[in-house]
Amino acid sequence: MTTSNTTRGDASSQSPLSPGINWLSDLKRSRKPGPFFGEAQHTWSGASTCAVHAGSSDDPRTGAVGTPIYQSSTFLLEDDQYNSIHDGYARDRFIYARYGNPSQWAVQQKLAALEGAESAIVFSSGMAAITTAVLSFMDKGAHVVASKELYGGTYNLFNQELPSLDMSATLVDPRDFDAIEAAIQPNTQILYFEAITNPLLTVVDIPKIVEIAKKHSLRVIIDATFATPIGLRCLELGVDIVVHSASKYLNGHSDLIAGVVLGSRKLIDQVWPRMLTYGGSLDPHACFLLERGLKTLAIRMKAHQDSAIALATYLEQHPAIERVFYPLLPSHPDHAIAQRLLDNATGNVTFVVKGGDGAALALLKALRLPKQATSLGGVESLISLPFNSSQAGFTHQQRVGMGIMPGTVRLSVGIEDATDLIADFKQALGQMTDKTETTHA
Amino acid sequence: MRNGIPAAALSEFVNEVRDTPHEAVMDYGINITWESGTRSHVEAKPMHVGGRRVSRKFSWKADEPRQLMGTNHAANPQELLLSGLGACMMVSFLAGASAKGIQIETLEIDFEASLDLRGFMGIEANSAVGFPEIQYTIHVTGDASAEAFETLHRASVVHSPNAQTILNQVALKGAIVSTSI
Repeated sequence: MTTSNTTRGDASSQSPLSPGINWLSDLKRSRKPGPFFGEAQHTWSGASTCAVHAGSSDDPRTGAVGTPIYQSSTFLLEDDQYNSIHDGYARDRFIYARYGNPSQWAVQQKLAALEGAESAIVFSSGMAAITTAVLSFMDKGAHVVASKELYGGTYNLFNQELPSLDMSATLVDPRDFDAIEAAIQPNTQILYFEAITNPLLTVVDIPKIVEIAKKHSLRVIIDATFATPIGLRCLELGVDIVVHSASKYLNGHSDLIAGVVLGSRKLIDQVWPRMLTYGGSLDPHACFLLERGLKTLAIRMKAHQDSAIALATYLEQHPAIERVFYPLLPSHPDHAIAQRLLDNATGNVTFVVKGGDGAALALLKALRLPKQATSLGGVESLISLPFNSSQAGFTHQQRVGMGIMPGTVRLSVGIEDATDLIADFKQALGQMTDKTETTHA
Repeated sequence: MRNGIPAAALSEFVNEVRDTPHEAVMDYGINITWESGTRSHVEAKPMHVGGRRVSRKFSWKADEPRQLMGTNHAANPQELLLSGLGACMMVSFLAGASAKGIQIETLEIDFEASLDLRGFMGIEANSAVGFPEIQYTIHVTGDASAEAFETLHRASVVHSPNAQTILNQVALKGAIVSTSI
């Protein structure tokens, strides 16, 4: 048996127990950000510096640059690990990969630095992150007020699962603050909104949501998947918990499924035991991929935005397009909020093709560059229709009620050059116009 | 985890409260509705933990035995009072044990109390209306000495909110909203 001379985990975390404790007031252990390998490195001013360096560490045994992949399910147990289990700080030691793994810690520290959070937990999917976060702050009989413009998976959680758990949700217009306040019940515990909604890209006025939550003693959970911490630092606006589908922009390469929950150490420590129970921990190799993808987050988001605004501007003037939704366009209903809140806009552009869903499908088939696939946030452009993918669980009338009109197209603009994207849309929309003219001839 | 209580989180909460005292403020409420005869229905109201709302979807009933004109469908108010006292003392005992690193194997508190209904009935002016005395015995097994358990016992009663509510005078501020029909 080998004996370790150094702490295998967060060395700043030690047992709260010591001789001479007579009552609770003698306990000295205070809460600290983490768990981290060393001191939190939040001092860099640039997001890219954080993205490259925070949490990442070189291999001390070989000098290999970059965090090694710790593909281990379990860890050697010694007195220190046993004590952490007995005294309630097992989150700060390596015991079993579902509890915590160095590969998870590295990417969690990087994500926490980017978001300005004290603590983070990565999950095996965005929905694992969302479900665990929501249920961590919902007690028996609890109620959540949420946006009626929700990602389908989150809608299913609220609509199908919460009632089975003796909980409930009221879905409201995210722009209607009176309706949000009116929906609050005595048993409401959470306000849950998406920072930028899917697919209409409504930019939620988060400071206003936080103001309502404070007035009613509620927690605020924000899904910031479309915004990323490059565009919006939700915690600085008073949000309690931020969740992301890390499969999207955070990873950025369409090659993994992951999620993350971020917030204060106090609140994330309440999420951690739920993560242990519900499962959903992230595999070490996926952690490596996410950590690598995150290193280019800031420059990717800038590239997404540059191509997205150029393409959105082109589409808005095209005669085959009914309407374009992009927060940086002056025509977007939330343009002023976007200018006030977003440091960088999303790469998603949503538009409505004249001629309905049939015409939209024809456009997708005529395009050569964007890949016809669900998901978003990858370096390659992805295009899909809400009616048969992300919002397929809703009826036609429900979609119309949400503002998703027939012919709506969801486009995740990649980091390709805007000139190539515009050229591709020009030829594809040209084919549709030609067919229409031929049909009418 | 010793006693099912994370000592680290307990310590962190204590020190959070030291820095931000409002986190220690707990607001409680229950609503009690008459059902029939001596039977009533109780519902817990949302609680506030450090200013944050917590849903409390819990309800229970209270009743009196048939001998006291009731239907004997639930514990009576005195039993509920003793259970509230005992459960609080138990939390206090377990929190104290966890802070001291004592592993509890079994813990049981047995309560007994007598009261004389002549006070309630107004027959005897010198008779106390409430309990003149409450007796309890703690049965505990764990990895501490008898002396350590006795020290813990004394400290846990001193710090038990419900025990101290009973031991000390508490203001009971009431109002009535009546509708004459």
